Amino acid sequence: MSFITITNLRKSYQMGRETVHALAGVSLNIEANSFWAVMGPSGSGKSTLMYLLGGLDRPSSGQIQVGQQAIESLDENALAVYRRRTIGFIFQSFNLIASLSALDNVAFPLRFARVPRRQRHARAYELLVRVGLGDRIHHKPTELSGGQQQRVAVARALVNNPQLILADEPTGNLDTASGTAIMELLSDLHKSGRTVLVVTHDPRMTSYATHTVQLLDGRIVSETSRD
Amino acid sequence: MGILDLVTLIVENLARRKGRVALTAVGVIIGTAAVVLLVSLGVGLQQNAADQLGGIGDLTKIQVYPTYGEFDPNTGQPIGGTMLTDQTIADIGALPGVTAVIPQDYFQGYAQIKLDRLEGGSQMLGVGTNDLGQLGVKAQQGSLELKRGTAVVGAMVSQSFYDPRLRPGQDPPPPPDLYDKQLVLNLVKYTPDGQEVRKTVRLKVGGVLAEARDEPDWSIYIPLDELTGYNTWVTGQRIDRNKVGYNNMIVRVADLDQVLDVTEQITNLGYQAYTPQSFVQGINGFYLILQIIFGGVGAIALLVAAIGIANTMAMAILERTREIGLMKAVGATNQHVLGVFLGESAGIGFLGGLGGVALGWGLGQVANVFVLSYLAGQSAETGAPPPTVAVSTPLWLPIFALIFATIIGLISGLYPALSAATLSPIKALKYE
Ligand SMILES: Nc1ncnc2c1ncn2[C@@H]1O[C@H](COP(=O)(O)OP(=O)(O)O)[C@@H](O)[C@H]1O
Ligand SMILES: [Mg+2]
Repeated sequence: MSFITITNLRKSYQMGRETVHALAGVSLNIEANSFWAVMGPSGSGKSTLMYLLGGLDRPSSGQIQVGQQAIESLDENALAVYRRRTIGFIFQSFNLIASLSALDNVAFPLRFARVPRRQRHARAYELLVRVGLGDRIHHKPTELSGGQQQRVAVARALVNNPQLILADEPTGNLDTASGTAIMELLSDLHKSGRTVLVVTHDPRMTSYATHTVQLLDGRIVSETSRD
Repeated sequence: MGILDLVTLIVENLARRKGRVALTAVGVIIGTAAVVLLVSLGVGLQQNAADQLGGIGDLTKIQVYPTYGEFDPNTGQPIGGTMLTDQTIADIGALPGVTAVIPQDYFQGYAQIKLDRLEGGSQMLGVGTNDLGQLGVKAQQGSLELKRGTAVVGAMVSQSFYDPRLRPGQDPPPPPDLYDKQLVLNLVKYTPDGQEVRKTVRLKVGGVLAEARDEPDWSIYIPLDELTGYNTWVTGQRIDRNKVGYNNMIVRVADLDQVLDVTEQITNLGYQAYTPQSFVQGINGFYLILQIIFGGVGAIALLVAAIGIANTMAMAILERTREIGLMKAVGATNQHVLGVFLGESAGIGFLGGLGGVALGWGLGQVANVFVLSYLAGQSAETGAPPPTVAVSTPLWLPIFALIFATIIGLISGLYPALSAATLSPIKALKYE
């Protein structure tokens, strides 16, 4: 039994008289503790897949089963709880809050999770140490390099200890060295037992991944696994 | 997310956008200050008016006079008037709500008063009760009880005393303390052939009235039957109250609500009846309208501030679109987002309200100092009593203003917060 089962997933947008099929029938089985590299040209539907999987958007049709939950049928509040408990999102553009320190950015999701303040900071600090930023906890995002900012974002994605990490082009805005560091970090997360999906254009990522999937025009054109 | 977590997040969000919050709050500060200051001014003016009217403490008092008919040119007798007789006392006393009917009369001769070497003169009133308290006056010394051979004197009576042997250039003596003194009254009348006749009466002062800024201040009160005796001596005729009537009557009513009603009924009986209450009601109505107008001006200022808050919150939501997207991506529910943004705008309203209450109150105090010293100078020139207060802030006003400002903040944040809460997370995250 897979951790995630995606069945005939579709997402369409109405653009005037034209219908854009961002995802045109995607089916995928993702086992627990696997590491997927999602590849494909721009506009092929990679981000759409991540958003649907992460409960940030709803499919036009099809099913997404994560663990015991049918994501497509959750109501708004249940979806919020799903995002909070199960998902850690990492974005290409970091999405850090500019006026908050690294520590407060990492601790931010815990505010909605009934975690006491003291524990929030302790946990955020621990994660910042883990991504190698133990000496930067009071820095604001603008006082950090792109690579450092993305490491703060990785720490934030981990703060609720989610099972599923979704990273949409996490290295897209980074130089090669910083990108490599993030890839290693994601690989560590996989090794520590999590399921990781990474959208990337960087072929090096495939050497960390257990599976690689290629999208084109909203369809899977190839699916390979390393074992 | 507990309520405490929500409040901390709101406070921290406001704290990290201090400049923007302060700028928005300025509008609320001005509006709230205007409400507090203007309503305080209205309240102050009203208090002042009440003070100036001599603290019309006693509104349950009705003054009743006879009506005077026309004189018949043939007989020289009045026709068609009404007299205040003993029957009148019974009639008015029977009206519901009336607790006392007290006839009054004036001494019809001249009374010269002596106290040691000082001389004075005041009108002398006889009252048909042995408790002056029923007239609504208060004692500053002694008691209000009228006994045979005693008198109760008004607060200003002592001012009428002077030293007849004072030589030019000498300082006049201070007004004597009349309480518990023996006054010697020389009652004076003239016979038809112009002869002056005197009669000496001794009265012990049993009480001195507190200042009332009214007729009692200049009056000497004695029991009515004694006064009737002196008037009999002056006129040389027995006084039959059923033929000549009383000069006037004071009617007391149990309940403030009944005063106007009883006044009307007495008028219907054919007498003239006056109560300060109708006047005071008019004054109160005027100041209530003034306060409403002033409060309205302030409220309009607050509404303008509300548009400012709504605008700032809408701007904040645009600026923080990605933050909202992120909140949702990391697990905030729509209610969380709504709570945060509503809380922030209520917070701006509350902070502005705090500032406005402080500013309005402070300005009121400053105004008090300046206006009062100016008016004190003015009244020194005119001789009118100086006002005691210009701006007065009742306790309920700042509390009300603070709550009002917070609610204004909350309401102005309603639409922006709702649109933030219902924002689609991916649209918000993709927002540039
Ligand atoms: N909100 C939207 N409205 C209309 N079309 C959209 C919207 N979001 C995505 N699309 C379209 O869906 C397709 C897939 O987009 P996306 O998943 O972002 O691709 P990728 O991440 O692979 O570049 C694209 O053609 C894109 O233009
Ligand atoms: Mg994309």
